[in-house]
Amino acid sequence: METNSFDAIVVGSGMSGGWAAKELTEKGLKTLVLERGRMVRHPDYPTATKDPWDLPYGNRITQETRHRKPVQTRTGYPTPANQHWFVDDLDNPYVEEQPFDWLRGYHVGGRSLMWARQSYRFGPLDFEANAKEGVGIPWPVTYDEIAPWYDKAEIFAGISGSVEGLYQLPDGKYLPPHDLNCVEVDFKKRLDEKLGRKLIIGRCANLTAPLTHNESPQRGTCQARNMCIRGCPFGGYFSSVSSTLPSAERTGNMTLMANQIVYELIYDADKGKATGVRVLDAETGKQTDYFAKIVFLCASALGSAYIMLNSTSSRFPNGFGNDSGELGHNIMDHNKPGNSNASVEGYLDVAYTGRRPNGFYIPRYRNVGKDKRDYLRGFGYQGRAARAGFGRFNDSAVIGEDLKKEFLEAGPWNVSMTAFGEILPYHDNHARLDRDKKDKYGLPQLVINAVVRENERKMEQDMKNDAAEMLEAAGYKNVTVKSDAYNVGNSIHESGTARMGTDPKKSVLNKFNQVHACKNVFVTDGSFMPSFGCQNPSLTYMAFTARAADHAVSELKKGNL
Amino acid sequence: MSDVMMQRREVLRRVAWMLGGAVSAPAALAILQGCSARDPAVSATAFKPKFLTAPSQMDIVTEVAEIIIPKTDTSGAKDAGVPAFIDSVLADVYPKDAQERFAVGLGGFAAAAAAASGKPFLEQDPAQRIAFVKQSLETALEGERNPKPFILMARELTLLGFFTSRVGITENMEYVAVPTAYHGCVPLSQMKKHVYWE
Repeated sequence: METNSFDAIVVGSGMSGGWAAKELTEKGLKTLVLERGRMVRHPDYPTATKDPWDLPYGNRITQETRHRKPVQTRTGYPTPANQHWFVDDLDNPYVEEQPFDWLRGYHVGGRSLMWARQSYRFGPLDFEANAKEGVGIPWPVTYDEIAPWYDKAEIFAGISGSVEGLYQLPDGKYLPPHDLNCVEVDFKKRLDEKLGRKLIIGRCANLTAPLTHNESPQRGTCQARNMCIRGCPFGGYFSSVSSTLPSAERTGNMTLMANQIVYELIYDADKGKATGVRVLDAETGKQTDYFAKIVFLCASALGSAYIMLNSTSSRFPNGFGNDSGELGHNIMDHNKPGNSNASVEGYLDVAYTGRRPNGFYIPRYRNVGKDKRDYLRGFGYQGRAARAGFGRFNDSAVIGEDLKKEFLEAGPWNVSMTAFGEILPYHDNHARLDRDKKDKYGLPQLVINAVVRENERKMEQDMKNDAAEMLEAAGYKNVTVKSDAYNVGNSIHESGTARMGTDPKKSVLNKFNQVHACKNVFVTDGSFMPSFGCQNPSLTYMAFTARAADHAVSELKKGNL
Repeated sequence: MSDVMMQRREVLRRVAWMLGGAVSAPAALAILQGCSARDPAVSATAFKPKFLTAPSQMDIVTEVAEIIIPKTDTSGAKDAGVPAFIDSVLADVYPKDAQERFAVGLGGFAAAAAAASGKPFLEQDPAQRIAFVKQSLETALEGERNPKPFILMARELTLLGFFTSRVGITENMEYVAVPTAYHGCVPLSQMKKHVYWE
């Protein structure tokens, strides 16, 4: 039992788990990090340096992979260059009561290896919305409280971006912004002139310049390869594998174990505390208990909710810390009902060199300031302008020498963009366990039931109409607005399953991400979000995790945990 | 439009209608086997197909690919290994229904080619073959494209295979494995090639 005891246990090694590991170990805690998937170490990424012709099938997914990974591949995200990061769906089943795209990366680093690196702050508008509108429950944290933690996360991770002075999208501590390309600069100017809307360069976790600190000697600057999702041997973008876990490792305080499936929290009713976690070894099936003074759940919104729902006791018959009945409920994501594009005339004598791992961003403008719509909240667009590749020949009859000649002249420019809209928290959007349906480890399966509702559908009209309006106002041609079926989860931003709040009757966590009913358990992945903004959320998880870890250590020192 | 072209177009339409999804893959194979003459230059290659295994299938696809991207002063489809690429994508990437559509469509293509000129596709002279591929493409682009007719599938696979191959990329694009930086607005006159691989 001695060797199984630590000061802290962190469950999960992705975006949030890496930050918890770094902060807790740097503050001197002997910390066990448990990851359910296999080991990954920087800079060992198997496909990172492959040339395009070394990828089989022109980087198209085989039927064999589709068979093993039906959910992952139906979204179009996996390719032979990155498919090893996407979970095997047959081995990791769940029940879709409504279609739900659960995209998962079970390995050290989790989805921090695969993320799109877009890093935006939530602002006062987001933190105040629930309270002002009577939606869900109020945030227990203000923007001013979290702002210094955003600073810390941005500085350590290295976020590139431009300072814009927008109330709805607060500025942060940025490395130099990427260039907008020639056509994007044109689009920006026209949007501003014609519609008074802002277009900015994306804010992303790629090092456009050296970090401003010396805590990550293993990281170099971004080399503009835009192959980030394979893992970057240069350490050019932030992942837990390249960034937070090496920091934790250097303290000498971290024990990182792969292939360890945490399926239950151990609760001591007499002490009123969690004493540790129950673990299955994914390879041997061996069961082990690990013990610690505090536990950080960073297993993703659905992963952490799963562990809590599966941790029942006489004190918590409906799941760990679930006095409110909200555990597993209020699932959110970003609504993404389709892509819009247009062709651009001119600019034929200019192009770009290097591959920018980033695009443009049109920050939210709906229901901001004087703008009032017949729905709540808003949306932002992410997109890019590019010159068309060989796909442009699909509509022409040109072949032979003519085709070869035509290809050598770069294709025409086009602009494409996708709206990400806020989804409100609804109690009915939920996940629960089906104890009769087991996976191959004998563990119950998660049942997920989440859909978009009236507010999201109303917003969708604006998301589509505004895209067309902007592309047309810019004078672009062949404007196309697609309507794609959107399954909740497809933006890979699932969240909200253990929301934080001041009222323990309505929330699972307090303002420091502590379980109301069991203060030595912290949940710092997307579970805690009471509302979701329209911004990509990872930076917010980093900030809240760092703040929670700081609080945890300070409470531990005071003898309060 | 000449009378001959009108006739070809009509033949193609008829064959397309006749095949129209109702003909099974084995039937298409039978049609193919009816015109199994081989171009010795093509069949000399040692490559063993996984999917295009019936007589002539591999040879016809190879010729079609080379017509779409011929060898000129730069490499063509054959140099880039496109025929083998197409076979492997058909075998391992395409779902069953698309595999079958390709096989049936290939049979229809061969039958129509033979019907239009009185000679199997592989025995036609190069100008005839090129004209027939071009004609098939034009007809396909005018007609129903969902699901994709054979000739559009063949061209899509040819382009994909060629522009993801080493020669296809390095001879036609500026490929830089480690660019080090992104520059958003560069005059084409300052680029080594006008197309930057991305």
